[in-house]
Amino acid sequence: MRTCVLLSTVVVLLVGCSIASADEPAPQAAAPVVFSKDVAPLLVGKCLACHGATDPKGEYQLTTFEMLMKPGASSTPSINPGKPDESELLRLISSDDKDERMPKEGDPLSAAQVAAVKRWIEEGAKFDGPDPKAALASIVPKLPHPDPPESYRMPVPITALAFAPSGQELAAGGYREVTIWNPATGALVRRIKNVPQRTLGLAYSPDGALLAAAGGLPGQSGEVTLYDPAKGTLLKQLGAMADVAWGVAFNPAGNRLAACGADRSIRIYDVATGKEERVIEDHADWVMAVAWNHDGTRLASASRDKTSKLFDAATGESLVTYPGHGEQVYGAAFNADSSQVLTTGRDKKVHVWKPADAGKIGEIAGFGQEVYDIVVAGGQIFCCSADKTARQFEAAERKPVRNYEGHADWVYSLAYNDATKRLATGSFDGEVRVWNTADGALVTSFKAAPGYAPPAQAAAAPQAAAGQAAAK
Amino acid sequence: MRQFTRTVVGPMVCGALAAVTLLAAGPVGAEPQAGAPPALEPIVVGTPERIDVQPGAIQLQTPRRRMHIIASGFYADGTTQDLTRAAQLTSTNPQVVRIENGVAVPVADGKAEIAVTVGGHEVKVPVEVTGQSKPDVVSFEYGTLVALSKQGCNSGACHGSPSGKGGFRMSLRAYDPAVDTETLVREAFNRRTNVYEPEASLLLRKPLMEVAHGGGRRMKKADPAYDLLHDWIAQGCQVDPADAPRCVKVDVYPRQRLLKRPAHTQQLLVLAHFSDGSIRDVTNLAVYTSSDEGVATVNADGFVTGLDRGESAILVRYLEKMETASLMFLKDVEGFQWNNPPESSFVDHDVFEKLRQLQILPSDLCSDEEFVRRAYLDVIGELPGVGEAQAFLVDQAPDKRAKLIDALLERPEYADFWALKWGDLLRLRGNKVTPAGVHKFHHWLVNAFRTNMPADRFARTLLTANGSTFANPAANFFRTAADTNDCTETTSQLFLGIRIQCAKCHNHPFERWTQDNYYGIGAFFNRVQKKPGTTPDELVVWVSRAGEVTQPRTGKQMKPWLPLKGDAELAGEDDRRDTFATWLTAPDNPFFAKVEVNRMWGHLLGRGIVDPVDDFRDSNPPSSAALLDHLAKDFVEHGFDRKHTLRTILNSRTYQLSSRKNDFNRNDTKYFSHATTRLLSAEQLLDAICRVTSVDEKFAGLPSGTRATQLPSPDVDNYFLKVFGQPARETACQCERSSDSNLSQALQMINGPLVHSKVRDEKNRLRTLVTGGKTDADVVSELYLAALSRPPSTAELDVATRHVTASGDRMRGLEDVCWALLNANEFLFQH
Repeated sequence: MRTCVLLSTVVVLLVGCSIASADEPAPQAAAPVVFSKDVAPLLVGKCLACHGATDPKGEYQLTTFEMLMKPGASSTPSINPGKPDESELLRLISSDDKDERMPKEGDPLSAAQVAAVKRWIEEGAKFDGPDPKAALASIVPKLPHPDPPESYRMPVPITALAFAPSGQELAAGGYREVTIWNPATGALVRRIKNVPQRTLGLAYSPDGALLAAAGGLPGQSGEVTLYDPAKGTLLKQLGAMADVAWGVAFNPAGNRLAACGADRSIRIYDVATGKEERVIEDHADWVMAVAWNHDGTRLASASRDKTSKLFDAATGESLVTYPGHGEQVYGAAFNADSSQVLTTGRDKKVHVWKPADAGKIGEIAGFGQEVYDIVVAGGQIFCCSADKTARQFEAAERKPVRNYEGHADWVYSLAYNDATKRLATGSFDGEVRVWNTADGALVTSFKAAPGYAPPAQAAAAPQAAAGQAAAK
Repeated sequence: MRQFTRTVVGPMVCGALAAVTLLAAGPVGAEPQAGAPPALEPIVVGTPERIDVQPGAIQLQTPRRRMHIIASGFYADGTTQDLTRAAQLTSTNPQVVRIENGVAVPVADGKAEIAVTVGGHEVKVPVEVTGQSKPDVVSFEYGTLVALSKQGCNSGACHGSPSGKGGFRMSLRAYDPAVDTETLVREAFNRRTNVYEPEASLLLRKPLMEVAHGGGRRMKKADPAYDLLHDWIAQGCQVDPADAPRCVKVDVYPRQRLLKRPAHTQQLLVLAHFSDGSIRDVTNLAVYTSSDEGVATVNADGFVTGLDRGESAILVRYLEKMETASLMFLKDVEGFQWNNPPESSFVDHDVFEKLRQLQILPSDLCSDEEFVRRAYLDVIGELPGVGEAQAFLVDQAPDKRAKLIDALLERPEYADFWALKWGDLLRLRGNKVTPAGVHKFHHWLVNAFRTNMPADRFARTLLTANGSTFANPAANFFRTAADTNDCTETTSQLFLGIRIQCAKCHNHPFERWTQDNYYGIGAFFNRVQKKPGTTPDELVVWVSRAGEVTQPRTGKQMKPWLPLKGDAELAGEDDRRDTFATWLTAPDNPFFAKVEVNRMWGHLLGRGIVDPVDDFRDSNPPSSAALLDHLAKDFVEHGFDRKHTLRTILNSRTYQLSSRKNDFNRNDTKYFSHATTRLLSAEQLLDAICRVTSVDEKFAGLPSGTRATQLPSPDVDNYFLKVFGQPARETACQCERSSDSNLSQALQMINGPLVHSKVRDEKNRLRTLVTGGKTDADVVSELYLAALSRPPSTAELDVATRHVTASGDRMRGLEDVCWALLNANEFLFQH
């Protein structure tokens, strides 16, 4: 629990953690209880798992404020504004009878937490969110996010990489942060805070002024956020989802951002206003990646539902479905004139197909493991794989150019900068490698984990880890 | 069974209803009610002669190690009980080792003793604590995977299913650690584990139900599994180094125990032995199942509670290692008094010894009427003829039952009937071996039983058959078992009693068989080849000199492997099947003779000693291991002579017990204290109807007079037979022959065309009798003898003749009687 105590009480994303903390101070007696800040996080963290939309226990669900106020199977009012004694919810969370006390079989809420709920009911059970029909999880304030570790005791997997258009900076997903590196030297340039736990997708706007990030807390929340990469500050939170956002992509004009996620959706945002323009719900499972065509009229997707789809970006209409992988699809890209869609997947292949009719044109095989990120730029195809390599092919004939070997673990992510002809690859073990695609030489490599001391320099690392576990 | 007949003979509608009801329900003994476990009875410690404490010495070599301490009391009257709940445990040095809920917990390096005191005895267990200042890294395999198995995460119904759940799939019960580590750590971009904040990992929050989880709450923070998973993540989700110690075996204590009320609980102690010589307590990490939940339940910590009299094998699983603890629970039954029934052979001795122990009283001997019908049906599959039944009933010789048994075993129908049984198992069917092949193979089978071919030769001939399937019909074995996997599965099930199919794709989820074992057995058969013969439909089986089996998961080439023995030493490379057959039919083979005698026992008694008869496994123990051993030994000593074993069983008092139960065996379904009533098989029933009515059934393409039990295959499309469970012979499993009752059967018997036409046939038995000038009473009596092998009682005769008189139409009245008899349970059931 040490981590939690260190963090401020508004660390609502860490709901389970911060809420379980019994010594968390109750809201100040003077200030009224704020539902979104003081009550909703409790409900989302402690109750939603059983009282969610699917098979809610006791036929009581609190997915939205509206549902929260409706009684469950018992038909006793769950919350009776102004009358805590006639509110079933309060009775159940404060009951002494272990068989009926909520959360069932879980740790009881702390006295301070119960007191907050009670006072909120006393004060009229007011709602301070924008829409009582909105998901309760979405009205819980998510910002600011807790800080990343000061220095990493072990590296985290590199699940996202992006080059600034200039090629002078490289952004990498960290733990609760995005780190910016000098791709020539491997030096740490900047740390961007106020980032959710995981970052799974990164993209610079074409002018380099914005950095979009997709990420979240696995299984619990997802976010799409815009940062100022130069200042390292959060500019705008564009969207909140019920599970992680997997990928982001700017259109070529740079005025639209597409994002996709584990909530099976693709969302399109107006970059200037931050407005969510469109939600495309067409896939049956996670959407792992999304890509724009050269003129910004089409979107290609990659989904765990084993298909890739092509959408009309203006209408959101699904145009064709490509089922050829027969396995989970991880990455998608268009070729330069958008006459081809290239997708990667668990079937250890790159498939090349026609956007007009989803007809298969060809494939690239020979990978030892599943294939993840794919980029087509500068007449080249780059992709990376769990077989610990990244590979380059010339785009026209798909002839192999070279393999980038040297990573000691699965290569999760890659980024390419055509201005500098540099390829960056990131692996599970936290290593980032920058390569010169002109000759295949390794430019630099580093663990994208600020402050991390490799075991060679700190032989005590495993012991430290063990000691940490033992001290738990 | 007589009460059924009384209900049936009477107005039609009443009979019909009775038949429907009884067919649907079946006269099966009541299953013991498995309710909530009763409150534990207090331990009566009394004055044990001595106590035993396990383990005898304790070494705790890392901070995480623990050790359960089990105390047992041995009493002057020969009884034993688990005194763990009552024992006082004291550490001589709590600075070194302390006691927590009966478990030794290390504190600091050093030596100490734990004094165990109970029943006036004290035993001191030396304890050595070491390694407390060193890190205790959680092993992936023996920590993480054990924890996930313990919580059931990787079970077949959850993430262990072939497609996983919610996009998260683990190998079934952790048979593939390499894939599991990728899934847990790397798949979905490290979504499931979080080394920075382990407690925030989805892998923990989902089963805790802190995050919505389709499988609901599966873990509590207090579970040992939580600590292991948490610490493994906190330590960086490390995989085990290649030289990490491996678990080499698992011991469970006690292996066997007999507990008599008030003693009815047992704490188990499960110790895993590792290749580094360490012995680790895995009592609260092993997975437990009771083979009979009605007799005993076992909780997650290995604490067994007996509920009823009987036996239960507690199956203990620690990853792929499997052991069993055999526990017997006894209880004094009020008013029970053993009546010392005479024993005809070791069969009765073994059965009665167990019944006496369990305080179950065997039923009385069955009547001659019951015996003659039972023996005919079991040995030759046919009802005794009227004359045969009468002759037996009037015979005054004291050994007439033994004589009848001898005579029946020599009847040609014996060979037909057993060829039918093996025809099912060997899947004789036109689409598998061609119609001509069916006849040749069937003929071979009939001949094998007619000449009483010893079972070892029978098996060897099939398993090593070569040449033309027409010239050597036994070679059809390899035509039916068309590929190596089919050979492996068929051979295992038929001759080893092992259902090994599961291990084809993964280690067996409940048993000791692994994927390596499956392909190791396959290595005996993969060189079998087939080529077309000289005539159409003929196939020639031959064996190539080369070819190996590759285990698909590991890619390793498998050596021929023998169960419970290991890699086989091949006697040259000529034909590996010879090595297998020699091992299989050796006198000391631990499987073959048992499976053979168990099949025969199951056939005669309606339930195997191991049941299902071809499903031998640790979690399905024999109801009498001694009986199975003795029968198998006797079988081997008599040259695998099937008729000898059948004769031994048929002559036992156990076989000849009545199906009528008494107050002390009412609930027994597995210890053979009474005969088991069961529906006649499809072929038996059809033949019996033909026999009672004296109207043969005509089977297309076969000579008239062919009986159903003589059919070479189910290719003869007979709806009646199918409805009554005739198998399509798709599998080598005895279970394919259905013994379930269903509505179609009731309808067939009540107003189906087959029964109707035979009852109404112009030349049937009752019309012949009427034409011959017999009285109503004579006709009724003969029908009774034909259907039930006994004359009617005075009351039955009275009801029947009055019905005939009252019906106005004599022929119709007699047809009613005949119909009613065919619908009586006493006719439909073997009893």
